[in-house]
Amino acid sequence: MRDLLELAVSASATGCVYALLALAYLVMIRPTGIINFAVGEWAMVGAFGAFLAVTKVELPYPVGVAAVLACMFVVGWATERIAVRPLVRAGAPLLAPILALLGMLVVFRESVALAFGPDPYPVPYPLGFGRLELGPLAGSYQSFFIIGTTLATFALAWLFFERTLAGKCFAAVAIDRRAAALVGIDRTRVAALSFAAGAVIAALAGLLVGPNVSAHYLMGVPLAIQGFTALVIGGVGRVEGALLGGLLLAFAEQLTARYAPLPPGYAQGVPLALLMLFLLVRPTGLLAERGARA
Amino acid sequence: MLRLEGVSAGYGPAPVVQGVDLAVERGECVALLGPNGAGKSTLMSAITGTIEHRSGRIVFDGDDLALLPSHRIVARGVALVPEGRRVFAPLAVEDNLRLGAVRLRGGAAALAERFAFVYRFLPRLAERRTQAAGTLSGGEQQMLAIGRALMSAPRLLLLDEPFLGLAPLVVAEIRRTLERLRETGLTLLVVEQKLDIALPFASRAYVLIKGRIALHDSTERIAQREDLTNLYFALAAAHA
Repeated sequence: MRDLLELAVSASATGCVYALLALAYLVMIRPTGIINFAVGEWAMVGAFGAFLAVTKVELPYPVGVAAVLACMFVVGWATERIAVRPLVRAGAPLLAPILALLGMLVVFRESVALAFGPDPYPVPYPLGFGRLELGPLAGSYQSFFIIGTTLATFALAWLFFERTLAGKCFAAVAIDRRAAALVGIDRTRVAALSFAAGAVIAALAGLLVGPNVSAHYLMGVPLAIQGFTALVIGGVGRVEGALLGGLLLAFAEQLTARYAPLPPGYAQGVPLALLMLFLLVRPTGLLAERGARA
Repeated sequence: MLRLEGVSAGYGPAPVVQGVDLAVERGECVALLGPNGAGKSTLMSAITGTIEHRSGRIVFDGDDLALLPSHRIVARGVALVPEGRRVFAPLAVEDNLRLGAVRLRGGAAALAERFAFVYRFLPRLAERRTQAAGTLSGGEQQMLAIGRALMSAPRLLLLDEPFLGLAPLVVAEIRRTLERLRETGLTLLVVEQKLDIALPFASRAYVLIKGRIALHDSTERIAQREDLTNLYFALAAAHA
Protein backbone atom coordinates (compact mmCIF):
# COMPACT_ATOMS: atom_id res chain seq x y z
CA MET A 1 0.00 0.00 0.00
CA ARG A 2 2.80 2.41 0.92
CA ASP A 3 4.46 1.37 -2.25
CA LEU A 4 1.34 2.16 -4.24
CA LEU A 5 0.94 5.59 -2.67
CA GLU A 6 4.53 6.47 -3.36
CA LEU A 7 4.08 5.36 -6.91
CA ALA A 8 0.98 7.53 -7.08
CA VAL A 9 3.03 10.64 -6.31
CA SER A 10 5.72 9.95 -8.86
CA ALA A 11 3.17 8.87 -11.48
CA SER A 12 1.18 12.07 -10.87
CA ALA A 13 4.33 14.13 -11.35
CA THR A 14 5.17 12.35 -14.60
CA GLY A 15 1.55 12.63 -15.68
CA CYS A 16 1.65 16.36 -15.03
CA VAL A 17 4.61 16.73 -17.41
CA TYR A 18 2.69 14.81 -20.09
CA ALA A 19 -0.36 16.94 -19.35
CA LEU A 20 1.60 20.16 -19.89
CA LEU A 21 2.88 18.87 -23.22
CA ALA A 22 -0.65 17.88 -24.20
CA LEU A 23 -1.80 21.37 -23.23
CA ALA A 24 0.93 22.86 -25.42
CA TYR A 25 -0.37 20.84 -28.37
CA LEU A 26 -3.93 21.78 -27.51
CA VAL A 27 -3.52 25.57 -27.36
CA MET A 28 -2.05 25.47 -30.86
CA ILE A 29 -4.32 22.89 -32.46
CA ARG A 30 -7.58 24.43 -31.23
CA PRO A 31 -7.44 27.75 -33.06
CA THR A 32 -5.22 26.75 -35.99
CA GLY A 33 -5.97 23.08 -36.63
CA ILE A 34 -2.21 22.53 -36.80
CA ILE A 35 -0.49 19.78 -34.85
CA ASN A 36 3.01 20.90 -33.98
CA PHE A 37 5.34 18.06 -32.99
CA ALA A 38 8.09 20.54 -32.13
CA VAL A 39 6.67 20.74 -28.58
CA GLY A 40 9.13 18.01 -27.57
CA GLU A 41 12.06 20.08 -28.86
CA TRP A 42 10.67 23.18 -27.19
CA ALA A 43 10.64 21.24 -23.91
CA MET A 44 14.25 20.25 -24.59
CA VAL A 45 15.19 23.88 -25.27
CA GLY A 46 13.43 24.85 -22.04
CA ALA A 47 15.52 22.36 -20.07
CA PHE A 48 18.73 23.69 -21.64
CA GLY A 49 17.52 27.22 -20.96
CA ALA A 50 17.14 26.40 -17.26
CA PHE A 51 20.65 24.95 -17.25
CA LEU A 52 22.04 28.10 -18.88
CA ALA A 53 20.09 30.68 -16.90
CA VAL A 54 20.22 29.12 -13.46
CA THR A 55 23.31 26.85 -13.41
CA LYS A 56 25.62 28.77 -15.75
CA VAL A 57 24.61 32.41 -15.30
CA GLU A 58 23.47 31.74 -11.70
CA LEU A 59 20.28 33.75 -11.85
CA PRO A 60 17.89 33.02 -8.98
CA TYR A 61 15.54 30.19 -10.01
CA PRO A 62 12.33 32.26 -10.47
CA VAL A 63 14.17 34.96 -12.43
CA GLY A 64 15.96 32.41 -14.59
CA VAL A 65 12.73 30.56 -15.34
CA ALA A 66 10.92 33.78 -16.16
CA ALA A 67 13.72 34.72 -18.57
CA VAL A 68 13.61 31.31 -20.26
CA LEU A 69 9.82 31.42 -20.63
CA ALA A 70 9.94 34.97 -22.01
CA CYS A 71 12.48 33.85 -24.62
CA MET A 72 10.30 30.86 -25.50
CA PHE A 73 7.32 33.17 -26.00
CA VAL A 74 9.34 34.94 -28.68
CA VAL A 75 10.53 31.61 -30.14
CA GLY A 76 6.95 30.36 -30.45
CA TRP A 77 5.78 33.63 -31.97
CA ALA A 78 8.64 33.60 -34.48
CA THR A 79 8.00 29.95 -35.35
CA GLU A 80 4.45 30.79 -36.35
CA ARG A 81 5.63 33.76 -38.40
CA ILE A 82 8.31 31.77 -40.20
CA ALA A 83 6.92 28.26 -40.62
CA VAL A 84 3.15 28.69 -40.57
CA ARG A 85 1.88 32.08 -41.66
CA PRO A 86 3.49 32.31 -45.12
CA LEU A 87 2.04 28.91 -46.01
CA VAL A 88 -1.43 29.67 -44.65
CA ARG A 89 -1.43 33.00 -46.47
CA ALA A 90 -0.49 31.29 -49.72
CA GLY A 91 -3.55 29.06 -49.29
CA ALA A 92 -1.55 25.84 -48.78
CA PRO A 93 -3.34 22.82 -47.28
CA LEU A 94 -2.91 22.28 -43.51
CA LEU A 95 -0.39 19.53 -44.08
CA ALA A 96 2.13 22.07 -45.42
CA PRO A 97 2.71 23.97 -42.15
CA ILE A 98 2.70 20.68 -40.24
CA LEU A 99 5.58 19.46 -42.41
CA ALA A 100 7.35 22.81 -42.17
CA LEU A 101 7.12 22.52 -38.38
CA LEU A 102 8.68 19.06 -38.53
CA GLY A 103 11.52 20.79 -40.32
CA MET A 104 11.71 23.39 -37.56
CA LEU A 105 11.88 20.53 -35.06
CA VAL A 106 15.09 19.29 -36.69
CA VAL A 107 16.47 22.84 -36.72
CA PHE A 108 15.85 23.18 -32.97
CA ARG A 109 17.37 19.81 -32.16
CA GLU A 110 20.46 20.19 -34.33
CA SER A 111 21.13 23.74 -33.14
CA VAL A 112 21.22 22.46 -29.57
CA ALA A 113 23.35 19.48 -30.59
CA LEU A 114 25.83 21.84 -32.28
CA ALA A 115 25.96 24.18 -29.31
CA PHE A 116 26.10 21.64 -26.50
CA GLY A 117 27.24 18.37 -28.01
CA PRO A 118 25.86 14.98 -27.05
CA ASP A 119 26.51 15.15 -23.29
CA PRO A 120 23.72 15.54 -20.75
CA TYR A 121 23.66 18.72 -18.66
CA PRO A 122 22.30 19.00 -15.13
CA VAL A 123 19.15 21.06 -14.74
CA PRO A 124 18.76 22.73 -11.35
CA TYR A 125 16.23 21.63 -8.74
CA PRO A 126 14.30 24.68 -7.56
CA LEU A 127 13.80 23.31 -4.04
CA GLY A 128 16.95 21.23 -3.73
CA PHE A 129 16.91 17.48 -3.52
CA GLY A 130 14.91 15.90 -0.77
CA ARG A 131 11.95 13.82 0.27
CA LEU A 132 8.65 15.17 1.44
CA GLU A 133 6.00 13.19 3.32
CA LEU A 134 2.45 14.50 3.38
CA GLY A 135 0.56 12.01 5.49
CA PRO A 136 0.61 8.74 3.58
CA LEU A 137 1.86 10.43 0.39
CA ALA A 138 5.59 10.63 -0.06
CA GLY A 139 7.81 11.74 -2.90
CA SER A 140 10.67 13.96 -3.94
CA TYR A 141 10.44 17.73 -3.59
CA GLN A 142 10.57 17.92 -7.35
CA SER A 143 7.52 15.66 -7.73
CA PHE A 144 5.46 17.93 -5.53
CA PHE A 145 6.85 21.01 -7.26
CA ILE A 146 5.86 19.61 -10.66
CA ILE A 147 2.35 18.77 -9.46
CA GLY A 148 1.83 22.19 -7.89
CA THR A 149 3.16 24.12 -10.89
CA THR A 150 1.12 22.07 -13.33
CA LEU A 151 -2.10 22.51 -11.39
CA ALA A 152 -1.47 26.26 -11.25
CA THR A 153 -0.82 26.35 -15.00
CA PHE A 154 -4.02 24.46 -15.75
CA ALA A 155 -5.97 26.73 -13.41
CA LEU A 156 -4.63 29.74 -15.30
CA ALA A 157 -5.40 28.16 -18.67
CA TRP A 158 -8.92 27.35 -17.53
CA LEU A 159 -9.48 30.89 -16.28
CA PHE A 160 -8.13 32.26 -19.55
CA PHE A 161 -10.49 30.20 -21.71
CA GLU A 162 -13.58 30.49 -19.49
CA ARG A 163 -13.34 33.96 -18.06
CA THR A 164 -11.47 36.30 -20.40
CA LEU A 165 -12.49 37.86 -23.69
CA ALA A 166 -9.16 36.85 -25.25
CA GLY A 167 -9.88 33.26 -24.24
CA LYS A 168 -13.34 33.47 -25.78
CA CYS A 169 -11.74 34.74 -28.98
CA PHE A 170 -9.50 31.65 -29.01
CA ALA A 171 -12.59 29.49 -28.57
CA ALA A 172 -14.44 31.37 -31.31
CA VAL A 173 -11.61 30.82 -33.79
CA ALA A 174 -11.54 27.14 -32.81
CA ILE A 175 -15.30 26.77 -33.31
CA ASP A 176 -15.73 28.63 -36.60
CA ARG A 177 -12.84 30.47 -38.24
CA ARG A 178 -14.96 32.33 -40.74
CA ALA A 179 -17.49 33.53 -38.17
CA ALA A 180 -14.61 34.60 -35.93
CA ALA A 181 -13.15 36.68 -38.76
CA LEU A 182 -16.57 38.21 -39.44
CA VAL A 183 -16.99 39.48 -35.87
CA GLY A 184 -13.59 41.12 -36.20
CA ILE A 185 -11.19 38.74 -34.49
CA ASP A 186 -7.69 38.99 -35.96
CA ARG A 187 -7.00 35.33 -36.67
CA THR A 188 -3.35 35.81 -37.52
CA ARG A 189 -2.80 37.34 -34.10
CA VAL A 190 -4.64 34.48 -32.37
CA ALA A 191 -2.51 31.97 -34.29
CA ALA A 192 0.76 33.71 -33.36
CA LEU A 193 -0.29 33.97 -29.71
CA SER A 194 -1.31 30.32 -29.60
CA PHE A 195 2.15 29.29 -30.82
CA ALA A 196 3.81 31.61 -28.31
CA ALA A 197 1.72 30.11 -25.49
CA GLY A 198 2.42 26.59 -26.75
CA ALA A 199 6.17 27.24 -26.65
CA VAL A 200 5.99 28.65 -23.12
CA ILE A 201 3.97 25.71 -21.81
CA ALA A 202 6.20 23.14 -23.53
CA ALA A 203 9.34 24.81 -22.17
CA LEU A 204 7.81 24.80 -18.70
CA ALA A 205 7.29 21.04 -19.01
CA GLY A 206 10.92 20.67 -20.09
CA LEU A 207 12.43 22.60 -17.25
CA LEU A 208 10.19 20.80 -14.75
CA VAL A 209 11.17 17.33 -15.94
CA GLY A 210 14.77 18.41 -16.61
CA PRO A 211 16.22 17.82 -13.13
CA ASN A 212 15.04 14.19 -13.21
CA VAL A 213 16.35 13.31 -16.66
CA SER A 214 19.06 15.96 -17.34
CA ALA A 215 19.04 18.16 -20.41
CA HIS A 216 19.99 16.22 -23.49
CA TYR A 217 19.51 17.08 -27.14
CA LEU A 218 17.49 13.91 -27.76
CA MET A 219 15.13 14.28 -24.80
CA GLY A 220 12.40 15.87 -26.92
CA VAL A 221 11.25 12.90 -28.99
CA PRO A 222 9.80 10.74 -26.18
CA LEU A 223 8.22 13.84 -24.62
CA ALA A 224 6.56 14.73 -27.94
CA ILE A 225 5.15 11.21 -28.25
CA GLN A 226 3.92 11.01 -24.68
CA GLY A 227 2.35 14.46 -24.80
CA PHE A 228 0.64 13.57 -28.07
CA THR A 229 -0.68 10.32 -26.57
CA ALA A 230 -1.99 12.21 -23.55
CA LEU A 231 -3.73 14.61 -25.92
CA VAL A 232 -5.34 11.77 -27.87
CA ILE A 233 -6.51 10.10 -24.65
CA GLY A 234 -7.98 13.26 -23.19
CA GLY A 235 -9.33 14.78 -26.41
CA VAL A 236 -8.53 18.13 -27.98
CA GLY A 237 -11.86 19.67 -27.08
CA ARG A 238 -11.15 20.80 -23.55
CA VAL A 239 -8.30 21.89 -21.34
CA GLU A 240 -9.21 19.41 -18.59
CA GLY A 241 -8.84 16.62 -21.12
CA ALA A 242 -5.09 17.25 -21.40
CA LEU A 243 -4.66 16.90 -17.64
CA LEU A 244 -6.77 13.77 -17.47
CA GLY A 245 -4.97 12.23 -20.45
CA GLY A 246 -1.53 12.95 -19.01
CA LEU A 247 -2.36 11.43 -15.62
CA LEU A 248 -4.02 8.34 -17.11
CA LEU A 249 -1.05 7.72 -19.37
CA ALA A 250 1.53 8.06 -16.58
CA PHE A 251 -0.42 5.79 -14.22
CA ALA A 252 -0.86 3.17 -16.94
CA GLU A 253 2.86 3.30 -17.67
CA GLN A 254 4.05 3.10 -14.09
CA LEU A 255 1.51 0.55 -12.88
CA THR A 256 2.43 -1.83 -15.71
CA ALA A 257 6.14 -1.28 -15.11
CA ARG A 258 5.69 -1.99 -11.40
CA TYR A 259 3.10 -4.74 -11.21
CA ALA A 260 2.57 -6.37 -14.60
CA PRO A 261 4.58 -9.53 -15.18
CA LEU A 262 6.23 -8.10 -18.29
CA PRO A 263 9.92 -7.92 -19.13
CA PRO A 264 11.14 -4.42 -18.21
CA GLY A 265 11.52 -3.07 -21.75
CA TYR A 266 7.92 -3.82 -22.66
CA ALA A 267 6.46 -1.21 -20.32
CA GLN A 268 7.76 1.42 -22.73
CA GLY A 269 5.24 0.15 -25.25
CA VAL A 270 2.34 1.22 -23.04
CA PRO A 271 1.95 4.75 -24.41
CA LEU A 272 2.05 3.52 -27.99
CA ALA A 273 -0.45 0.75 -27.22
CA LEU A 274 -2.76 3.30 -25.59
CA LEU A 275 -2.29 5.67 -28.51
CA MET A 276 -3.34 2.99 -31.00
CA LEU A 277 -6.22 1.86 -28.82
CA PHE A 278 -7.66 5.36 -28.51
CA LEU A 279 -7.19 6.21 -32.17
CA LEU A 280 -9.09 3.04 -33.06
CA VAL A 281 -11.82 3.08 -30.44
CA ARG A 282 -12.34 6.64 -29.33
CA PRO A 283 -10.51 9.10 -31.60
CA THR A 284 -12.28 12.07 -30.01
CA GLY A 285 -10.69 11.36 -26.63
CA LEU A 286 -12.38 10.96 -23.28
CA LEU A 287 -13.70 14.48 -22.87
CA ALA A 288 -15.72 15.66 -25.82
CA GLU A 289 -16.09 19.32 -26.62
CA ARG A 290 -19.06 20.86 -24.87
CA GLY A 291 -22.07 21.26 -27.12
CA ALA A 292 -19.94 20.35 -30.12
CA ARG A 293 -21.69 19.49 -33.32
CA ALA A 294 -20.93 16.08 -34.71
CA MET B 1 -21.83 55.17 -48.47
CA LEU B 2 -20.71 51.91 -50.10
CA ARG B 3 -19.54 51.86 -53.68
CA LEU B 4 -18.21 48.83 -55.53
CA GLU B 5 -16.27 49.52 -58.72
CA GLY B 6 -15.25 46.65 -60.95
CA VAL B 7 -15.09 44.16 -58.13
CA SER B 8 -13.97 40.63 -58.95
CA ALA B 9 -13.52 37.90 -56.36
CA GLY B 10 -13.08 34.17 -56.11
CA TYR B 11 -11.62 31.30 -54.15
CA GLY B 12 -8.92 30.61 -56.70
CA PRO B 13 -7.47 32.36 -59.72
CA ALA B 14 -10.80 32.01 -61.59
CA PRO B 15 -13.19 34.69 -60.30
CA VAL B 16 -16.72 33.80 -59.17
CA VAL B 17 -17.95 37.37 -59.45
CA GLN B 18 -16.62 39.70 -62.11
CA GLY B 19 -16.65 43.43 -62.67
CA VAL B 20 -19.42 44.20 -60.21
CA ASP B 21 -20.50 47.84 -59.83
CA LEU B 22 -22.91 48.50 -57.00
CA ALA B 23 -23.78 51.40 -54.72
CA VAL B 24 -25.66 51.74 -51.46
CA GLU B 25 -26.56 55.20 -50.12
CA ARG B 26 -26.74 56.10 -46.46
CA GLY B 27 -30.01 55.05 -44.78
CA GLU B 28 -31.05 53.02 -47.79
CA CYS B 29 -32.13 49.38 -47.93
CA VAL B 30 -30.88 47.62 -51.03
CA ALA B 31 -31.56 44.03 -52.08
CA LEU B 32 -29.08 41.85 -53.90
CA LEU B 33 -31.04 39.19 -55.75
CA GLY B 34 -29.96 36.22 -57.74
CA PRO B 35 -30.36 32.48 -58.16
CA ASN B 36 -28.32 29.87 -56.35
CA GLY B 37 -24.65 29.98 -57.23
CA ALA B 38 -24.76 33.44 -58.78
CA GLY B 39 -21.97 34.63 -56.49
CA LYS B 40 -23.99 36.64 -53.96
CA SER B 41 -22.20 35.18 -50.93
CA THR B 42 -18.85 35.53 -52.68
CA LEU B 43 -19.57 39.23 -53.11
CA MET B 44 -20.37 39.49 -49.38
CA SER B 45 -17.04 37.78 -48.63
CA ALA B 46 -15.27 40.30 -50.84
CA ILE B 47 -16.85 43.25 -49.02
CA THR B 48 -15.97 41.80 -45.60
CA GLY B 49 -12.45 40.76 -46.60
CA THR B 50 -12.98 37.08 -45.91
CA ILE B 51 -11.94 35.76 -49.29
CA GLU B 52 -8.44 35.18 -50.65
CA HIS B 53 -8.74 36.76 -54.07
CA ARG B 54 -10.43 40.09 -54.59
CA SER B 55 -9.73 43.01 -56.86
CA GLY B 56 -11.39 46.28 -57.84
CA ARG B 57 -12.39 49.09 -55.49
CA ILE B 58 -14.74 48.70 -52.52
CA VAL B 59 -15.11 52.20 -51.17
CA PHE B 60 -16.84 52.66 -47.83
CA ASP B 61 -16.97 56.23 -46.49
CA GLY B 62 -13.74 57.05 -48.30
CA ASP B 63 -11.76 53.95 -47.30
CA ASP B 64 -10.95 51.23 -49.80
CA LEU B 65 -12.03 48.05 -48.00
CA ALA B 66 -10.30 45.90 -50.62
CA LEU B 67 -6.99 46.88 -49.01
CA LEU B 68 -8.02 46.05 -45.44
CA PRO B 69 -8.06 42.76 -43.50
CA SER B 70 -11.42 41.56 -42.17
CA HIS B 71 -11.00 42.78 -38.59
CA ARG B 72 -10.26 46.32 -39.77
CA ILE B 73 -13.37 46.26 -41.97
CA VAL B 74 -15.52 45.38 -38.94
CA ALA B 75 -13.88 48.24 -37.04
CA ARG B 76 -14.79 50.63 -39.91
CA GLY B 77 -18.48 49.83 -39.38
CA VAL B 78 -19.42 47.04 -41.77
CA ALA B 79 -20.88 43.84 -40.32
CA LEU B 80 -22.15 40.73 -42.09
CA VAL B 81 -24.79 38.30 -40.87
CA PRO B 82 -23.44 35.27 -42.70
CA GLU B 83 -25.40 32.69 -44.63
CA GLY B 84 -26.28 29.74 -42.40
CA ARG B 85 -26.09 31.97 -39.28
CA ARG B 86 -22.79 30.51 -38.01
CA VAL B 87 -23.35 31.26 -34.33
CA PHE B 88 -20.74 29.92 -31.89
CA ALA B 89 -22.84 26.92 -30.89
CA PRO B 90 -21.08 25.80 -27.68
CA LEU B 91 -20.92 29.33 -26.25
CA ALA B 92 -23.69 31.10 -24.38
CA VAL B 93 -25.88 33.67 -26.15
CA GLU B 94 -24.28 36.41 -24.10
CA ASP B 95 -20.76 35.26 -25.05
CA ASN B 96 -21.76 35.22 -28.72
CA LEU B 97 -22.92 38.81 -28.41
CA ARG B 98 -19.82 39.82 -26.47
CA LEU B 99 -17.65 38.41 -29.25
CA GLY B 100 -19.61 40.49 -31.73
CA ALA B 101 -18.24 43.54 -29.91
CA VAL B 102 -14.51 42.72 -30.02
CA ARG B 103 -13.96 45.69 -32.35
CA LEU B 104 -16.33 48.02 -30.49
CA ARG B 105 -14.67 51.17 -29.19
CA GLY B 106 -15.71 53.21 -26.18
CA GLY B 107 -15.16 50.87 -23.24
CA ALA B 108 -17.69 49.49 -20.78
CA ALA B 109 -20.28 52.21 -21.34
CA ALA B 110 -20.41 51.62 -25.10
CA LEU B 111 -20.62 47.88 -24.51
CA ALA B 112 -23.52 48.19 -22.06
CA GLU B 113 -25.29 50.51 -24.50
CA ARG B 114 -24.84 47.94 -27.30
CA PHE B 115 -26.21 45.08 -25.18
CA ALA B 116 -29.22 47.23 -24.26
CA PHE B 117 -29.75 48.12 -27.94
CA VAL B 118 -29.62 44.50 -29.10
CA TYR B 119 -31.84 43.22 -26.29
CA ARG B 120 -34.37 45.98 -27.07
CA PHE B 121 -34.62 44.98 -30.72
CA LEU B 122 -34.31 41.23 -30.10
CA PRO B 123 -35.87 40.66 -26.67
CA ARG B 124 -35.88 36.90 -27.19
CA LEU B 125 -32.09 36.96 -26.85
CA ALA B 126 -32.31 38.57 -23.42
CA GLU B 127 -34.51 35.70 -22.24
CA ARG B 128 -32.00 33.15 -23.53
CA ARG B 129 -28.90 35.02 -22.39
CA THR B 130 -27.23 32.12 -20.55
CA GLN B 131 -28.29 29.35 -22.93
CA ALA B 132 -25.78 27.76 -25.32
CA ALA B 133 -26.36 29.15 -28.81
CA GLY B 134 -26.55 25.64 -30.25
CA THR B 135 -29.69 24.89 -28.22
CA LEU B 136 -31.68 27.76 -29.77
CA SER B 137 -34.27 27.27 -32.50
CA GLY B 138 -33.36 28.20 -36.06
CA GLY B 139 -35.19 31.51 -35.85
CA GLU B 140 -33.56 32.39 -32.56
CA GLN B 141 -30.15 31.53 -33.97
CA GLN B 142 -30.84 33.89 -36.86
CA MET B 143 -31.77 36.61 -34.38
CA LEU B 144 -28.56 35.88 -32.49
CA ALA B 145 -26.53 36.15 -35.69
CA ILE B 146 -28.16 39.53 -36.35
CA GLY B 147 -27.63 40.61 -32.74
CA ARG B 148 -24.00 39.56 -32.87
CA ALA B 149 -23.44 41.64 -35.99
CA LEU B 150 -25.18 44.63 -34.38
CA MET B 151 -22.86 44.45 -31.37
CA SER B 152 -20.05 46.00 -33.41
CA ALA B 153 -22.22 49.12 -33.88
CA PRO B 154 -22.17 48.84 -37.68
CA ARG B 155 -23.27 51.66 -39.96
CA LEU B 156 -23.79 49.21 -42.80
CA LEU B 157 -25.36 45.83 -42.06
CA LEU B 158 -25.05 43.08 -44.67
CA LEU B 159 -27.42 40.14 -44.40
CA ASP B 160 -26.87 36.97 -46.42
CA GLU B 161 -30.15 35.10 -46.91
CA PRO B 162 -31.43 35.84 -43.40
CA PHE B 163 -34.80 34.16 -44.03
CA LEU B 164 -33.52 30.88 -45.38
CA GLY B 165 -35.21 27.81 -43.89
CA LEU B 166 -37.37 29.72 -41.43
CA ALA B 167 -41.10 29.38 -40.77
CA PRO B 168 -43.30 32.17 -42.19
CA LEU B 169 -44.11 33.56 -38.74
CA VAL B 170 -40.42 33.83 -37.89
CA VAL B 171 -39.70 35.40 -41.28
CA ALA B 172 -42.32 38.03 -40.53
CA GLU B 173 -40.85 38.68 -37.10
CA ILE B 174 -37.30 39.10 -38.41
CA ARG B 175 -38.53 41.29 -41.23
CA ARG B 176 -40.26 43.56 -38.71
CA THR B 177 -37.04 43.73 -36.70
CA LEU B 178 -35.08 44.72 -39.80
CA GLU B 179 -37.65 47.34 -40.65
CA ARG B 180 -37.35 48.86 -37.18
CA LEU B 181 -33.57 48.80 -37.48
CA ARG B 182 -33.78 50.64 -40.76
CA GLU B 183 -35.91 53.29 -39.08
CA THR B 184 -32.99 53.95 -36.72
CA GLY B 185 -31.01 55.01 -39.78
CA LEU B 186 -29.06 51.79 -40.26
CA THR B 187 -28.12 51.08 -43.87
CA LEU B 188 -28.96 47.58 -45.09
CA LEU B 189 -27.82 45.41 -47.96
CA VAL B 190 -29.83 42.18 -48.02
CA VAL B 191 -29.02 39.15 -50.13
CA GLU B 192 -32.05 37.14 -51.21
CA GLN B 193 -33.19 34.64 -53.78
CA LYS B 194 -36.85 35.60 -53.74
CA LEU B 195 -37.98 39.18 -54.01
CA ASP B 196 -41.40 38.72 -52.40
CA ILE B 197 -39.93 37.35 -49.20
CA ALA B 198 -37.00 39.66 -49.55
CA LEU B 199 -37.98 43.08 -48.85
CA PRO B 200 -41.04 45.03 -49.47
CA PHE B 201 -39.15 47.88 -47.88
CA ALA B 202 -36.06 47.68 -50.09
CA SER B 203 -35.89 50.65 -52.38
CA ARG B 204 -33.64 49.25 -55.08
CA ALA B 205 -32.42 45.86 -56.13
CA TYR B 206 -29.49 44.47 -58.06
CA VAL B 207 -29.82 41.13 -59.78
CA LEU B 208 -26.66 39.05 -59.93
CA ILE B 209 -26.50 36.34 -62.57
CA LYS B 210 -23.44 34.16 -63.12
CA GLY B 211 -21.20 36.53 -61.23
CA ARG B 212 -22.26 39.71 -63.05
CA ILE B 213 -24.86 42.36 -62.35
CA ALA B 214 -27.53 41.65 -64.95
CA LEU B 215 -30.14 44.14 -63.83
CA HIS B 216 -30.45 47.12 -61.53
CA ASP B 217 -33.77 48.81 -60.89
CA SER B 218 -36.21 50.00 -58.24
CA THR B 219 -37.89 47.14 -56.41
CA GLU B 220 -41.27 48.37 -57.55
CA ARG B 221 -40.42 48.00 -61.18
CA ILE B 222 -38.74 44.64 -60.66
CA ALA B 223 -41.82 43.41 -58.81
CA GLN B 224 -44.02 44.44 -61.74
CA ARG B 225 -42.09 42.23 -64.07
CA GLU B 226 -43.02 38.63 -64.47
CA ASP B 227 -42.13 36.27 -61.69
CA LEU B 228 -38.51 36.31 -60.71
CA THR B 229 -37.67 32.72 -61.58
CA ASN B 230 -38.54 33.46 -65.20
CA LEU B 231 -36.63 36.69 -64.99
CA TYR B 232 -33.52 34.88 -63.72
CA PHE B 233 -33.95 32.38 -66.50
CA ALA B 234 -34.31 35.04 -69.17
CA LEU B 235 -31.37 37.04 -67.86
CA ALA B 236 -29.19 33.95 -67.63
CA ALA B 237 -30.04 33.09 -71.23
CA ALA B 238 -29.24 36.63 -72.32
CA HIS B 239 -25.82 36.43 -70.68
CA ALA B 240 -24.93 32.94 -71.80
